[in-house]
Amino acid sequence: MSKFYLILIFCFFGLFVSAQKSITGTVTDAVSQEPLLGATIVVENTTNGTTTDFDGKFTLNNVPDTAAIVVSYVGYKSTTIPIGLATNYPIALEPDVESLEDIVVIGYGRESRRNITGAISKVDSESIERLEPQNAAQALQGTASGINVTQQGGSPGSESNIRIRGIATNLDASPLIILDGFEYRGGLNSINPQDIESITVLKDAQAAIYGSTGSNGVILITTKSGKRNQETEFNYQTYVGVQQTSRKIPLLNATEYALLLNESYTNAGQVSPIDNFSGLGKGTDWQNEVFDTAPIMNHNLSIRGGSENISYSISGSLLDQEGIVGSEKSEFSRKTASLSLDASITEIFSINTKLFYAASKNKSLNDFGLGSVLFNALNMAPTIGPEVDNLTNEIDLGNEVVNPLTQIRNTFNDSKTNRLSGTFQSKLEYAKNLDLQGRIGFNTALTQNRDFFPVFDYGTGKVFNRLEDNLVSLGKINDNDYTFDLFNTYQNNFNDRHNLTLMLGMTVFQTKGEGLFGSATGVPSNLYTFADLSLATGSGDNRNANSYAYDVRRLSYFGRVQYSLDNRYLFSAMLRRDASTRFGPNNRVGYFPSVTAGWIVSDENFFPENNFIDFIKIRASYGIIGNDRIGDFRYLSLLTGEATYPSGVDGSLINGVAIGPLSNPNIKWEEAKKLDVGVDFRLFKNKLNFVFDYYLNDTKDLLVSNIPISGIFGTYAPGGSGPTINAGSVRNQGIEIEFSYNDNLSENLKINAGFNLSTIQNTVTEINGTDFIEGGQFGVGQPAPSRMEVGKPIGYFYGYQTNGIFQNIAEVNAHPSQILLGAEAQPGDIRYVDANGDGVIDSNDRVNIGDPIPDFTFGINLGFSYKNFDFNTYAFASVGNDIVRNYERAQDNVNKLNYRLDRWTGEGTSNSVPRVTTAPSANNIFSDFFVEDGSFLRIQTVSLGYNFQENIISKIKLKKLRVYAKVDNLYTFTEYSGFDPTASTGAPIGAGIDFGFYPIPRIYSFGVNAQF
Amino acid sequence: MKKIAVFLICTTLSISCSDDFVDVTPPYSINSETFFNSEEDFQNALIGSYDVLQATYVNVIMGEIASDNVNAGGESPTDVIGWQQVDRMIHTPVNSNIRDLWNFNFAGLQRAAFIIENKDNIEFEGKDQIIGEVLFLRAYFNFELVKWFGPIPIKPDGKFELGEEVTTPRSPVEEVYAYIESDLIQAIENLAINSVEIGRVNQMAARALLGKVYLYQEKFDLAADQLNTVINSGNYHLYGTQGDENYADLFEFIAENGPESVFEIQYTGVEGAGFGCLQCSEGNVMVGFSGVRGYTGPVYESGFGFCLPRQEAYDAYTSNDLRRDVSILDIEDWAAETNATYNIGNQDPVTGHTGYYNRKYIPRNNDNQPDPNLTQPNNYRAIRYADVLLMAAESLNRGNINDNLARTYVNQVRNRAGLSDVQDSGSQLLDIIYNERRLELMGEGHRFFDLVRTGRAQQFIDGFTAPKNNLFPIPEEEIQFSQGNWTQNPGY
Repeated sequence: MSKFYLILIFCFFGLFVSAQKSITGTVTDAVSQEPLLGATIVVENTTNGTTTDFDGKFTLNNVPDTAAIVVSYVGYKSTTIPIGLATNYPIALEPDVESLEDIVVIGYGRESRRNITGAISKVDSESIERLEPQNAAQALQGTASGINVTQQGGSPGSESNIRIRGIATNLDASPLIILDGFEYRGGLNSINPQDIESITVLKDAQAAIYGSTGSNGVILITTKSGKRNQETEFNYQTYVGVQQTSRKIPLLNATEYALLLNESYTNAGQVSPIDNFSGLGKGTDWQNEVFDTAPIMNHNLSIRGGSENISYSISGSLLDQEGIVGSEKSEFSRKTASLSLDASITEIFSINTKLFYAASKNKSLNDFGLGSVLFNALNMAPTIGPEVDNLTNEIDLGNEVVNPLTQIRNTFNDSKTNRLSGTFQSKLEYAKNLDLQGRIGFNTALTQNRDFFPVFDYGTGKVFNRLEDNLVSLGKINDNDYTFDLFNTYQNNFNDRHNLTLMLGMTVFQTKGEGLFGSATGVPSNLYTFADLSLATGSGDNRNANSYAYDVRRLSYFGRVQYSLDNRYLFSAMLRRDASTRFGPNNRVGYFPSVTAGWIVSDENFFPENNFIDFIKIRASYGIIGNDRIGDFRYLSLLTGEATYPSGVDGSLINGVAIGPLSNPNIKWEEAKKLDVGVDFRLFKNKLNFVFDYYLNDTKDLLVSNIPISGIFGTYAPGGSGPTINAGSVRNQGIEIEFSYNDNLSENLKINAGFNLSTIQNTVTEINGTDFIEGGQFGVGQPAPSRMEVGKPIGYFYGYQTNGIFQNIAEVNAHPSQILLGAEAQPGDIRYVDANGDGVIDSNDRVNIGDPIPDFTFGINLGFSYKNFDFNTYAFASVGNDIVRNYERAQDNVNKLNYRLDRWTGEGTSNSVPRVTTAPSANNIFSDFFVEDGSFLRIQTVSLGYNFQENIISKIKLKKLRVYAKVDNLYTFTEYSGFDPTASTGAPIGAGIDFGFYPIPRIYSFGVNAQF
Repeated sequence: MKKIAVFLICTTLSISCSDDFVDVTPPYSINSETFFNSEEDFQNALIGSYDVLQATYVNVIMGEIASDNVNAGGESPTDVIGWQQVDRMIHTPVNSNIRDLWNFNFAGLQRAAFIIENKDNIEFEGKDQIIGEVLFLRAYFNFELVKWFGPIPIKPDGKFELGEEVTTPRSPVEEVYAYIESDLIQAIENLAINSVEIGRVNQMAARALLGKVYLYQEKFDLAADQLNTVINSGNYHLYGTQGDENYADLFEFIAENGPESVFEIQYTGVEGAGFGCLQCSEGNVMVGFSGVRGYTGPVYESGFGFCLPRQEAYDAYTSNDLRRDVSILDIEDWAAETNATYNIGNQDPVTGHTGYYNRKYIPRNNDNQPDPNLTQPNNYRAIRYADVLLMAAESLNRGNINDNLARTYVNQVRNRAGLSDVQDSGSQLLDIIYNERRLELMGEGHRFFDLVRTGRAQQFIDGFTAPKNNLFPIPEEEIQFSQGNWTQNPGY
């Protein structure tokens, strides 16, 4: 009580004692000396305040002599100035480096990086410029911790698999992509990387604001827009390059091949197939035949600027890339255009529009799988000449292996996608501290495919043969969606201590689409030129049409509270409620809460002033997020099964109706509980940044689609499958470390360096209803090699363990029989371990023989600029992931890798490579003999640039001119014997199996960036 | 306060959408609850049930491999390892091919049951015929299952529902047979004498199957009755005995759905297929798998070289038996005659190359869609009139009913093969009937079960142990799904 009186008396006293006056002043940027428009000046602890005008000037009345004024401006450090006798105050504000650099989008809002309490990674336009990637996903590869990016293949236009903090689903594990506020569904490959201002990745429970769509992590992409009061700026960027394969696999040449082939027949007591070695020489090098150098070319032009109330940005780009296999038969081109417009209509109402158009064209080869071009190149006999299209009279290579050159020549396809996406946003500041934002985002895409399969005979019995009739098939898919957001934000600062932001809103999402397909035989002249349904002559069963349609909707409400005390105790909480057509009627609605908190230790009074530590923040987050990519309408039993049976005199097919996949009325989202604890440091005058995170993600209700159930339910009927059931749990945990260092060592020498490291420990913790789930493919007709099983990493390899080679018959006899694996062993065969020790070697002896999940991954970047030169390099690495060598066809006569030269040929000759033989053996079953260490370190980018001096280029009206030379995918350090250790299908169960992966090309390019 | 009010108003405005928004039905789709409201629905569902018959190719080829007729073959001794193990009679409950058989046949069963459980939804003319066909199909699949696995779970009123795998026991064989008999008797009542369409089941097919079911249970009187009805209907005759028919064409396209066909599973090559879903193929997968590897030459197309007749099987025919060269292709002779070329795959002495191919079901030249190995259009003659005659003969003989008639039937079959009449009776006649069954039905998947039901399997099949191998093991996965409800067949 006495305190209250004291204050009252003091105030009363103050009213009389202190004089009041008007003050004026100018607020400028301390560095550029430019005046600052709209800076706020407030008398401390009062509501008396004003803002600066266009020239940075202000006038403030009723200022007591003894007071102080607080001057603040977004992006600058606030300052408090005591008022003395003077009436004019020139005030220079220091830019706040932290906040200027780092305003981070967090979904339905923004936050300064300083105050962020969740785990995020951010890649800015500078990094993207340094990397000049063909695909925006490559900008995340190795540049940020916790994010694993692998390209689906080296063929042009390949998408990338992005995995954030491991794999916690056996469905689609790719993150949600939000482009300027709306859900973008085109894949990162359809976005022009040079349009991107920043990529922010939400890795933890902060993504709960995206509710049932956020558990794979969220990638928020902000594109470039014009700035207010900015002179029109033209940017032109271009590069041209050549691509080549980064590796060829050492194979046997013709003579070596013949030698081993004969040996394999002799070993089986059969007649040697090749009796004349002379003149065989090296034979055909099939890899040389299929690999080419191929061009790549890119242009990008953008125009940006703005006046006081409007800013704009227009850009267009063109990318053309041919494949290193098949040249123009494997081609990608992408044209993009974007338009961005920002306008303040009135003081309280502003609008913002962005439009993106992308047209991509793609031709592709069979490039990853049994029967792919490279698979054929590896397995073709080197004794066969490249011109032999029909292998009928050649040595028998089985039914799958064909001449890859012929295969390329007979591949005809064309896929086009035209996509228009955009967002219209408006913001109404309807009262002080309150604003309402409404926005509509949309995607509309038309995808067209045309495939032509000509009549061709690759040789008797080949599976690719079309002997009677050619076939053209066309497809047209139309996908549309919209996202409508309406959200209301309240932001205020109380007593200069309490900062509160409150946000409430809703999102409506709907996606609809349909596909139409048709095919017919009888294309005239067997030519692609005539490959159209209108010309094809096939009728009846030789002409087919099909279609599908879908409609998926989601309705979400959400709210978030962000509160900070003294700008150092940070807290936020959010809740989202999602209802979705994908969830079963019994689980229609899901709630997704999360909380985050942070403490900026370095701002505490007790924290000692020092030159070493500038900033320490401790933060933690915990929340529940969902994954709704569970397939559509799985709770309904749809009659989508295949039901066709020939009937009548002509035996023509009659279509009926049958049950499709079994339904599950209880189906719901997958649910991840995510915990993150982290520390951010800035050291040595902000030159060194260090971020550490520990995360623990427990995902439950993992959907298991087509869950194995008893065959009595008829799920093995054509078009049938088991129900999709929420049946599993997976835990991912690990740590992430990011260092970045920026320094100007001297006026001429600047350095930036970064290092990030992530570890993942993945364990399946629960599966209900089945002991394991299988996936992947190895060889032909072999059991599935990958499994999801409790206690093991998801998608681990399940096969036989080997223990060297039987050296003699005594060793064979001392070991249990291997007959159940296919054949009794002979000396020279692989010895399999009786893992369960029951004295019998059978399928129960299969064990965990590796997994495709790396123990840790890291990325390094290093850049210098010296005077006008700049040098940048990026590298990334993956350690501890295993990979399955699955591109060797287990057939007697196919070519072999040259490690087979070290085969067992008698006692003591080899204890690792089995004998060659055409006799029955169990040497080709899935075992650790085929599993290799896939660890690698890849030097992804090395570039050297030169910036022309302004005084030289200004004569030709240029503001900036940089030329550079760059090599992508320069070198990969690895012991893996295949084309590329990043080979993977990306399937959660079945990843890390290499079918003859199309290697990521090495690209030598030269580029020019100009600004005028 | 005013601000808070405005904030709340704006917020309320934005939360004015209801969850009804997400209540949609998928566009252009039908679901099971709203089905079976018209005759067409029943017809369509019936097609769905017939469709699964095509997947029973696996019953035929694996049945043949299990017998003493053929070697497994293939590319190598590990190619389709499940079949290789069956050939050696070392198969275990972990065998994906045996599991296929379980899964495919139950799938057909379930599709038939889907119709049965909705059969009272509406009434329309012609419903009896549809229900009759459905009952036949259900009996067909059940009979296959009981032949392979013995006791199986049954549910006469409809589909199996999730959870019933842990409650529904495996019914004893007698009960399964009673159920099959009841389905077939009802089918016979419902079905027209002649098929409504080529390829569809008719009353005679149901009688023939019922006769076979009785024979398997050694109910010889009942069997003979049904089979005699089929024979006396006059609707069938042995192909090659009338008009310009040529016996050598019996397994060619020209004789499909011909006068000898009592029940025939229809296949076509007009639709492509892939390895991802063999049961989805509209073609006869067995045929491509049985083709000569890397074959180039006239008449035939190449295949994967499985199901290779053994020398002993070839030698079982007398040289004047027309059936030998219809049933078995001697590839060396054929190559010498026509300059055809081919490759040899598996050379294992027990499971590998023999020089012979199952000529009844290897690919003929035709214009089937890719993958041509999976889409061969050869129909499977599931119940042939010759089989009916031999089953009738066996019933008549073993039931001590009428050896004369039995002999007449056997001699009809022998005569068609260019062989003379036999005069035997009693057990000598029975031996002849058994031998004729093997020779007549070589390569058609019946031999193994004939040997088992007559107790002669251990005598003829290498590696066969009775009683263990009388049945195949329940797939290990099924034992696990049933959580102890189903126990494994003895010996496995």
